[in-house]
Amino acid sequence: MQISPILAALRYHKAGVVLIAMQIALTLAIVCNAMFIIHQRLVRMDKPSGVEESGLLVVKNEWAGKPATGQIASLMAADLDTLRKMPGVANVYATNTYPLSNGGFANGIGHSPDKRNYVSVTAVYFSDENTLSTLGLKLVEGRNFNADEINGLGDNDKIAPAVIIVTRELARRLYPDGSALGKTAYISNEPSIIIGIVDRLQIPWVDNSMARWADCSTLLPFRNLVTITHYLIRTQPEEIEDVATRVRATLYATQRLRVIRPKDGVKTFAQVRAAAYKSDRGMAILMGVISVILVATTAAGIVGLASFWVGQRRKQIGVRRALGATRQDILGYFLTENLLICMAGVVLGGLLAIGLNLWLMKQFEMERIAPGYVLAGVAMLLLLGQCAVFAPAWRASHVPPVEATRSV
Amino acid sequence: MLKMTHLSKVYRTEVVETYALRDFNIDVKEGEFVAVTGPSGSGKTTFLTIAGLLETFTGGEYHLDGVEVSHLDDNARSRIRNEKIGFIFQAFNLIPDLNVFDNVEVPLRYRGMKAPERKQRIMDALERVGLASRAKHYPAELSGGQQQRVAIARALAGSPRLLLADEPTGNLDTQMARGVLELLEEIHREGATIVMVTHDPELAARAQRNVHIIDGQVVDLAEDPRFHTAYAAAAGQVRG
Ligand SMILES: Nc1ncnc2c1ncn2[C@@H]1O[C@H](COP(=O)(O)OP(=O)(O)O)[C@@H](O)[C@H]1O
Ligand SMILES: [Mg+2]
Repeated sequence: MQISPILAALRYHKAGVVLIAMQIALTLAIVCNAMFIIHQRLVRMDKPSGVEESGLLVVKNEWAGKPATGQIASLMAADLDTLRKMPGVANVYATNTYPLSNGGFANGIGHSPDKRNYVSVTAVYFSDENTLSTLGLKLVEGRNFNADEINGLGDNDKIAPAVIIVTRELARRLYPDGSALGKTAYISNEPSIIIGIVDRLQIPWVDNSMARWADCSTLLPFRNLVTITHYLIRTQPEEIEDVATRVRATLYATQRLRVIRPKDGVKTFAQVRAAAYKSDRGMAILMGVISVILVATTAAGIVGLASFWVGQRRKQIGVRRALGATRQDILGYFLTENLLICMAGVVLGGLLAIGLNLWLMKQFEMERIAPGYVLAGVAMLLLLGQCAVFAPAWRASHVPPVEATRSV
Repeated sequence: MLKMTHLSKVYRTEVVETYALRDFNIDVKEGEFVAVTGPSGSGKTTFLTIAGLLETFTGGEYHLDGVEVSHLDDNARSRIRNEKIGFIFQAFNLIPDLNVFDNVEVPLRYRGMKAPERKQRIMDALERVGLASRAKHYPAELSGGQQQRVAIARALAGSPRLLLADEPTGNLDTQMARGVLELLEEIHREGATIVMVTHDPELAARAQRNVHIIDGQVVDLAEDPRFHTAYAAAAGQVRG
C-alpha cells in the first residue's frame, strides 16, 4: 500500500525503529541458532543404540581385597550363575563397558598390525556367547561366539582375539567392496577373523567429537578378569523394577567382599540413557527457555512501542480519518509500518544468525546451520511482529475521526 | 447541499448530559459561503463535526447533498469525507512527520488515485496557495500562515464540493488571516460551498450569509434585536 509515506514518517521515530529492529535482529540470530542446537541435540538423543533397552539392567560390581585373576574367574562364574537363576532374569553376561556408559576403551582397527594405518577407530566390548541375546543385538551375517571361544583376560594378558564380531558400519569401512564376513582385521598385533556382523551397536560415548565413528563397535570374546565388572542383565520388562531391587542383596548374599554402590551400583538402561544425554537435554531446555524469553521480550517491546506511537499519534490518526481514511486504512498503516521495521530487523538478523553460526562452528565444532532454520525464523518473527502489533493497531483504527478537532 | 432539521447532539458523561446542539435547523445551499459565529461553547465546532461526518448526532435529520446520512456505515462516511468534504482546522492539523507534498497527498491516496494524477493535483493545489516551492519542507519549517495554506491546499486537492473551516484564521495574525480569507473567497467563486466558523465579525461580514449560534441553536440576529448587544460584546471581546 502506502509504503513511501510510511517510510518517510518513520524517519521521525528513528530511535524506536532502530531499537525494535535490533531487538528483532538479535532475537532472530539467537533463536535460529538455539532451534538448530535444540534440533541437533534431539537428533543426537534420538540415535538408536542398537540395544533392546527396555528390560535391560546394569550392575557395577567391584571386588574388594584385590583378588587374583584366577579367583576373579571363579567369583564371576558364580555371580553369573546366581544372576541367571534369579526369577525374572532371562540372560546375563559380564563386560568392561556398554553403550552410553561414557567409559571404556577404543582402539584402531585395520588391515595390518601397524597401528598408524588403522582404517577406523572402534569401541572395544568384551563379550561372551550370551552378549547378543542379552543386549538384544541383531545378527545380520555370520554367527555368534561359541562358549569355547571365550577366554579369560587378566590385567596383564595380551589382547589377541582369534575371532571378532563387528557392527555393520565397521564392516563396511573395513571392506567397502564386499562382505567382511570371514575376512581378517587387525585390532591387535595378531589377525582376527570376523565371524559375525551385527546390525548396530553404539559406542559408549555420545560426545560430538566421536560422532564420526559412533556406530563402529567390535565385540571381543573375552571375560575381563579385573576388579571392576559390569553385569548386563536381561529381564522380563515388567519385572525389571523387581529384579533391580533384589539384585544387590542377592549378590551380597553369595559373597560379601564386594562393593555395589547403593546410589548407582544398579541402574536400568533407561537411567543410563538419561545420564548419558543429561547435558544434551539440559542444553536443549536452556536454549528453549532463552528462546521463549527472547521472543516474549521482543513481542512485549513491539506491543509497548506500538501502543506508545498510537497514543502519540491519536491526533494525526483522527486527521487521517477526517481526510477519508477508513478503519482498515489505519489498521493497514500500522501493520505495514510494523512489517517494514520487522523486515529491516530480519534482514539484519539473518546475517547475524549466519555470523553467530560461523562463530559457533569455529569455537564449539557446531555444524553449519541449515538455511531452513533462518527462513523459518524470519517467517516466525514477521508473524510475531504482526500479531504483537495487532492489538495497538486495532485500537488505532478505532480512534474516532472527531479526534482531529480536539485541541492538543 | 447541507440541511439539518431538528437536529440534536447530546454529550453524555457519567454525571451530566450536555446538549451541544438542540432543535438545530440550518439549510446551506449549493455554492453558498456561510459564516458561523457565536460565543465560545455555543456548539459551533459540534455543528461542523456533525456536518463533516466526523461525529454522529443524537436526534433529528441531516441531509448532505440530498442523502440522509444517519444510516451510513463507517466506511461510507469515510468515503464521503474523502470525496465531497474538505476540512480546514484552527490548529492546521498537518501531519508533522510528513513534508508538505506528502501532507497534501494524504486524502488523494485514500481515494486510491494513481501517482501521476496525485502529483498533478498536489502541485496545482500548492501553486494556488503559493507554496509550490515549499513542497519538500516540513510543517515545522513553515510559518502559521503558510501551514494553514498547506492545509487549504490539502483540502483543495481533492476538489471537494463542501469546504468546512473551523476558525481557520484563529491562530493567525490579521494580515495572514486576510490572505487565507481571500483564498477561501477565490475557492468559493469557483463553485465550492463553504461553511466557516469564525470569531472575527470583520471576516464574517465578508461572507454571503451569517449564521449565529447561541446555546446550541441558530438564532436570526436580524430578526431578534435582543441579541444585538450580546453579539457585539462577544465580538469585541475576541478582538480586544
Ligand atoms: N466530547 C465532548 N464531550 C462532552 N462535552 C462536549 C464535547 N465536545 C463539546 N462538548 C460541549 O458541547 C458544547 C459545545 O461545544 P463546542 O461545539 O466545542 O463549542 P464551540 O466550538 O462553539 O466553542 C460545550 O458545552 C462543550 O463543553
Ligand atoms: Mg470550537
